[in-house]
Amino acid sequence: MLKGLLVMSILPAQLVVGEMIGELSFDNRYFFNVGLQEQEKNHSSFSFSPEIFKDDSNRIFHFKAKLRRDSEDSGRNLNDIQELYLINIFEDKEIKFGVSKEFWGVTETSHRVDIVNQTDFTEGFDGEEKLGQPMIKISFERPWGLLDIYALLGFRERNFSGIKGRLRSPLSINEKNSLYSSSSKNKRVDFAFRWSNYYDNLDIAISHFSGTSREPRFLPSPNKINALVPLYEVIDQTGLEIQYLLDSLVIKGEVISRSGHGARFTAATYGFEYTQVGFLQTRMDLGWVVEFNHDDRLESSPFVLGTRFSFNDIYDSQILSGFIINDRSKELGFLLEASRRIGECCLLSLEGVYFDDTDEDNGKQKLFQAFMEDDFLRAEFIYYL
Amino acid sequence: MKGLSHLKNKQFTALVMAMILASITGNLFANKGLEIAILSDKNNDDFIDSSSSMTMNLINKRGEVVTRKLRFKRLEVPTDGDKSIAIFESPRDVKGVAILSYAHKVKADDQWLYLPALKRVKRIASKNKSGPFLGSEFSFEDFSFQEVEKYDYVYLKEEIYQEKPCYVVERKPLDPYSGYTKQLVWIDKENYLVQKIHHFDRKSFHLKTQLFKDYRKYEGFFWQPHEIEMINHQNGKRSILLFDDVKLKNGFTDRDFSQNSLKRSR
Repeated sequence: MLKGLLVMSILPAQLVVGEMIGELSFDNRYFFNVGLQEQEKNHSSFSFSPEIFKDDSNRIFHFKAKLRRDSEDSGRNLNDIQELYLINIFEDKEIKFGVSKEFWGVTETSHRVDIVNQTDFTEGFDGEEKLGQPMIKISFERPWGLLDIYALLGFRERNFSGIKGRLRSPLSINEKNSLYSSSSKNKRVDFAFRWSNYYDNLDIAISHFSGTSREPRFLPSPNKINALVPLYEVIDQTGLEIQYLLDSLVIKGEVISRSGHGARFTAATYGFEYTQVGFLQTRMDLGWVVEFNHDDRLESSPFVLGTRFSFNDIYDSQILSGFIINDRSKELGFLLEASRRIGECCLLSLEGVYFDDTDEDNGKQKLFQAFMEDDFLRAEFIYYL
Repeated sequence: MKGLSHLKNKQFTALVMAMILASITGNLFANKGLEIAILSDKNNDDFIDSSSSMTMNLINKRGEVVTRKLRFKRLEVPTDGDKSIAIFESPRDVKGVAILSYAHKVKADDQWLYLPALKRVKRIASKNKSGPFLGSEFSFEDFSFQEVEKYDYVYLKEEIYQEKPCYVVERKPLDPYSGYTKQLVWIDKENYLVQKIHHFDRKSFHLKTQLFKDYRKYEGFFWQPHEIEMINHQNGKRSILLFDDVKLKNGFTDRDFSQNSLKRSR
């Protein structure tokens, strides 16, 4: 953060006269039951994201911050610089310097390969909300593909729900005493590269990351009962992404192999996406996503079935549904989300999440046990400044 | 040829001659439509690149209007279809969303969608092109470049449209994923500019009428319509696309139309 502010203060002043926009979001989650650890039923939060963007064709400046306050859970409070970078475009390369977000991957429901940024773990299950990462990135676009080389300057710890938060692990997480396997702790400079190209209907990417794992392992806290401390180890992770377009069917998969994080393991997500345009002779589209998961570390390999109804109206109305089915433990998670634009300024979304928690212990590892009291309804209203 | 071997040489020659003749005369009628389409397409040659701002007004049956804004960049690819980027400016919740398209003469176009909130570039199946574009009466297909090679043509007649003598050409999309079975295209005889298109849906129903208005000439040769209206006869809605700030010779290169360039767009 401090480093980020420093970068900003040394930027030439004229750069900061770009386009200014922003976003205000109000969010309310109502849980049907009191939490397993006696947490409140109603949780509200508010967030503000100011943004400045300026494109001088060969030089691009972007700033975006995110501030969030939660009524119950101080673990969800956030002051984050999401973007604060300059891109300089040269004849044969482009260099990005500053704080930014970088997405890697092709699948929809789970992101195996994506590792540049730390995940904002207090925001949703999809792991798509990220924290800004300081970096220097050099990109080469050539006939043989796009090569991005990253030096990642310092490490962001994962944020977790606090003791009053919902959808949290039964044991509290003592973030203040995080452990590192590297002696430089969160100052370690990590390296990564990603090569990607496409050949007609085939997209392919290979990446490697060498540095502090974004995903921690947990150890019992030495000075607190019923608490865990995150351990951030130095890992090597190689990733492969493949996507193939077969007419209107998109077949995709991503797989990683990671070492340094316990025994070397492999994890993968793969499946397909298909859209029925003009569903039932209407102007609606119905999109389908089916994705399977595998992780050497887990007994279970849940699969996800998602659908998206797009009404293609002027409000961009959509209804999303998703089932997570864990066949081994007979668990089921269900999500339903409806959203639409209101006027030209605003967006409203309503969401319901339900965990089908079979109490019976069939001896199988469970995914949702910690969330058995956490079924909720959520309303979010976003106002665009 | 084995089946023909019992024919005598003379008979065979006559047969071949008849076949060639039939194909030539058949083509003569079909070719006039193609010829007009090629001449019309020539209007788009050698512009190298262009940029413009677009305002799209979506008008419902009661006459209520909502407005969408986009920026549009296009690069000519001499041996293939053009490359283009459409960047959404408004409504605010989709600001920064961008679509990159590589049109191809015969095979399906390549398309990518950029989602700025996730900073994700996502390849999309361009075959899904019959759906509405941004909730408008234009489909993705109406927005893509209509390469000559993507249709079969039949010349129908001459007709005066809005005081302009026009050719009327029927064209049928060769792509089975097209939302249309047939289109009637009015092309003026003077400049070979498309004036009007009637779109027929999969049930051969006259679904939509597209009107091209306010053509202006840039750099002495490039004709740009400044207003394109799409009327949907089924639901009574209309969409009007207005072009502004049309600029040629922006000095764009392939790098401005790469997947990587999408990530820089916001």
